[in-house]
Amino acid sequence: MRRLSITVAFVTILASLFGGMALAYALGGYLESVWYKGASALSNLVVLMLVFVMVIATLLTLAERKWSALMQNRVGPNRARIHLPGLRNRSLAGIPHIISDVVKMLTKESFIPAAANRFFYVIAPILSFAPVFTLFAVIPAGPTLPIFGHEVAMVVANPSFGLLYLFALASLAVFGTALAGWASNNKFSLMGGVRAASQMISYEIALGLSAVGLMMAFASIQLAGTSGIMEQQAQYLWKADVSGFDFGIPAWGILIQPIGFLLFFAAAFAETKRPPFDMTECESEIIGYFVEYSGMRFGMFMVAEFVEIIVFSGVVTTLFLGGYHLPFGGEWFANLAFFKAYPLVYGATMGMVFWVKVLLVTYIQINIRWTYVRFRYDQIEKLGWKILIPLGIVNIFVTGALLLLDTSMRTLGALGILEILLIFILISSSPKSSLHKPIGQTEALPSHH
Amino acid sequence: MSHSESHSESPSETPKKTYDFWERLYIPELVKGVAITTRHFLRNLWSERDNNTEVLERKTKSLMATVEYPEQRVPYPPGYRGKHRLVPREDGKPRCVACYMCATACPSQCIYIEAGEYAADDANTASRVIEKYPAVFIIDTLRCVVCGLCVEACPKDALRMDTCAHVSPELERNAFVYAKERLLVGEPVEHPSDAWRHRQNSAEPLHAHKEAHTRIGDGH
Repeated sequence: MRRLSITVAFVTILASLFGGMALAYALGGYLESVWYKGASALSNLVVLMLVFVMVIATLLTLAERKWSALMQNRVGPNRARIHLPGLRNRSLAGIPHIISDVVKMLTKESFIPAAANRFFYVIAPILSFAPVFTLFAVIPAGPTLPIFGHEVAMVVANPSFGLLYLFALASLAVFGTALAGWASNNKFSLMGGVRAASQMISYEIALGLSAVGLMMAFASIQLAGTSGIMEQQAQYLWKADVSGFDFGIPAWGILIQPIGFLLFFAAAFAETKRPPFDMTECESEIIGYFVEYSGMRFGMFMVAEFVEIIVFSGVVTTLFLGGYHLPFGGEWFANLAFFKAYPLVYGATMGMVFWVKVLLVTYIQINIRWTYVRFRYDQIEKLGWKILIPLGIVNIFVTGALLLLDTSMRTLGALGILEILLIFILISSSPKSSLHKPIGQTEALPSHH
Repeated sequence: MSHSESHSESPSETPKKTYDFWERLYIPELVKGVAITTRHFLRNLWSERDNNTEVLERKTKSLMATVEYPEQRVPYPPGYRGKHRLVPREDGKPRCVACYMCATACPSQCIYIEAGEYAADDANTASRVIEKYPAVFIIDTLRCVVCGLCVEACPKDALRMDTCAHVSPELERNAFVYAKERLLVGEPVEHPSDAWRHRQNSAEPLHAHKEAHTRIGDGH
């Protein structure tokens, strides 16, 4: 019964991703045909950013609590019920909690402390939410396809400076947190804001450096488009064709830049200000920059955090996991007669692939957040300045040298695969720690004599 | 433990944890940590939940140990000390003989008894044997510390805490003060040694002679 409902849930998620992307393509094609050329950017803005990102972020507020419960052998939130006949005794996987949370946020008093700087106090949540939200504008969620006779690109904007746009806007988010800490006129929130500012600024450098290797390898900082990073990942480093079905080792960012991927992941994780990097908030003991916020103003900070997770997953997927491309069989798939005839279905399928990857990275993030303990402040700074930044610089030099030797990225890919293999060997050969016991084995209780 | 003792000189000093080469590499340990949470996640996600309230006897692979309280309740162990009750006899009157032993033993002084006397010519021969009864028997459950000393002290098995129930929540303070009517509930209890037990084929109590000893002046 449980397995059945989980399978149904998975199928529903996949179907809604597929349906959503089909809708996005159809709406884009329709707007292109009735309005001006490039009008599909508007429908992408609505469907991709307002619908996809916001809906996933909303569901994630519940999913995080449910997933963490499963990781900790708990049941998770299931007490909120819909008081309708037939539903009132069902927990509905905790979905009513989303509604109750929203109602709570909206109806709570949004208190402004008397000594606070009103203007900055009010504007700070918006400042921390907006930059994060706008990041998604440059992330392509599907291939460019002719729908209803018009080219529809599944991206809101495709500037040639895509990656720089990401870094520039990501660094703006620090204003929101620092201002929130300062404008509340509370010593503790001010210190939280200062911690946030110093942490985010130090990790911004690592974030930028870790992606430089990728920019060099693909010789581009554009994300979408034919010469963009996303499209270049469709090619293979080594390719074999078996009667039209192509497979091989794809030129994904994670394969040609594994160290860059690890550094980027760590730095971007620190940018999201979630555990183990949640020095800025520390809800449980030290207080963070948003202590003085309540109601929907606090809700903005919270939603910003979840939107940040999605956007971060989208960026990682675009840069390192090949975006909407399949690891193999991509060309064979695209050339199927059915998909040639119905580009909308092809686009929706590829969009589904993209969102599945995004959700996977999201799961990994939440898994990490519920696995590791928080770093101490000095450990955070040490990790940023003494490990990530030097490694990032070394990575740039090694990547540059290998690209000088061989511009086809194959040497780079070989080194990357070697590095991944090395990490696998390290993991599998390291002795089992005495702390770990196989799960499900209850320890014998000490007998009382 | 012996390891730490040999290292630290003063007892307040915590032994420094040393990390071996594999732990210093950091990444393998990180991946192992994630692997553990993922294993728990998948196992709890995919396996059916067993709702047995005896958590240790759950059969499925799911590791969840939750008992969802209002719907499911863990049964109390047999020795559980619940709400008090005054044990009734078969005829519905309390077994209590108003000896004040429980009130004396009570460390929180929450029992108040006023003794009454059965009439010497009571129609119920059993009552005639018992002589005394609690005219007022009050337990203030707000003062009670549920220690069970009153039950231990009772010589007549007239006070028990075997209801397996909590003191129910009330809106008024006075409602927590339980009077005799509220305490006199549950299964009646009879023992072979009870003084009022009847001889076979006789209406007289088993210990009719006891009346002769105790009812001074009546000369039965």
